[in-house]
Amino acid sequence: MESDNRGIAVCLTLILAVVLSLMPLSGDWIVWKPNFLLLTVMAWVMRWPDGVGIFFAASVGLLADILLRMSPGHSVIVFALCAFALALVSRWAKYLSMLQRTLLVALIISLVAMFEASLFIFYGRPSGIEYLPMKILLSMLAWPFIDRLVARMQPRRD
Amino acid sequence: MKNVFNRSSTLLRKFLTVSLVAVLLMLVDNFTPWLKPAYSAADNLVRPLYWIANIPLRVQEWSASSLTPRSEIESDNLRLSKESLIYHGQLQRMSDLAAENMRLRRLLNATELVQDSVLVTEVIGVSANPLSHTLTIDRGTADGVFVGQPLLDAEGLMGQIIEVHKRHSTALLITDSNHALPVQVLRNGLRSIAEGRADYNRLNLKFVSPTADIREGDKLVSSGLGGLYPAGYPVGTVLSIVSVPGDNFLKIDIDPSAEIDRSRHLLLLYNSRDNAADAVE
Repeated sequence: MESDNRGIAVCLTLILAVVLSLMPLSGDWIVWKPNFLLLTVMAWVMRWPDGVGIFFAASVGLLADILLRMSPGHSVIVFALCAFALALVSRWAKYLSMLQRTLLVALIISLVAMFEASLFIFYGRPSGIEYLPMKILLSMLAWPFIDRLVARMQPRRD
Repeated sequence: MKNVFNRSSTLLRKFLTVSLVAVLLMLVDNFTPWLKPAYSAADNLVRPLYWIANIPLRVQEWSASSLTPRSEIESDNLRLSKESLIYHGQLQRMSDLAAENMRLRRLLNATELVQDSVLVTEVIGVSANPLSHTLTIDRGTADGVFVGQPLLDAEGLMGQIIEVHKRHSTALLITDSNHALPVQVLRNGLRSIAEGRADYNRLNLKFVSPTADIREGDKLVSSGLGGLYPAGYPVGTVLSIVSVPGDNFLKIDIDPSAEIDRSRHLLLLYNSRDNAADAVE
């Protein structure tokens, strides 16, 4: 893909992530649904750190807050934190193998999810911490597909 | 090396700026209503995304209805006709009981029960956040929907309307952790509060003392206290009762009557009091 088109590619992958996030699921499954928006943003930060950074991640976080009907600002911090962590390591993270990248993403998601759960506990709301292991496992399964999709949208270097 | 440190400090500065803005947003949202209009406008803007996300479900429903064999449709039709006959029979008995009830209430000089009317609505969006149990329906101010209006499915109470737009509304479900409703045990009238706990299949029953007359399998209905939900609508069934030593109250799990995460067609409840309020306005 030409480098000029990466903006369009980002939009298309985000629309896909939004559709996957909003797709209705039964109550037994919804608690394990991976955060597709967050995974997509993380994939772009890792692949294109100069174009998709913390501010962009925060904007998508605000969109997630509106879509998920959360207090505005909650996902902004979560998305920005993930983007910050990935941007710090993005220089060498792109040279990792798929398995290593998946483990790195799982580690970041776990840390951020625990931070998010502690915020919920602080507010006295259900944290959903009991669903975290399965959710992280499913996120790890979804990651290779998202990462490959984003990788295919990078400009070719001849 | 200097570049690496420069980059890290720039990233940290950006992250801290974003975090500060986010914390400010959360504080403003928690303590003032200033963000509500903007949030509502943004919600309207992202509405088409919900419609797009529902396409696979609609395709699945359409294919299921189109590919159903004729014999299955005929047997369904027969079953529904039989059910309709049974319900009509029960309804005749119900109207007789309602008339008798009204006569008795008149004898006791009690106020007459209000008649509820309903409006059928369809779910067009479900909250993707597993910890926030809300759904969007296809009726809005144009249909007379109002904040606080009760929502039912064929089995029982589902929740109440919390936001109304012109063509759609948002409802908070009874399973949301921010929701509580006054209930009573159908068998003996014991009153309590059924509270959501962010689980589509469970509610908690609060403030029931260990000496209270409550059993597993007891049916719970809305008590009508608080004035928001009308009395007598099914809420759930007592699933388990645990007495924790040293605790002042029983730990009671409720299985909601409504099919909270499965119902697609719902009923908006209006009663004569709401209509009267509308007329005054």
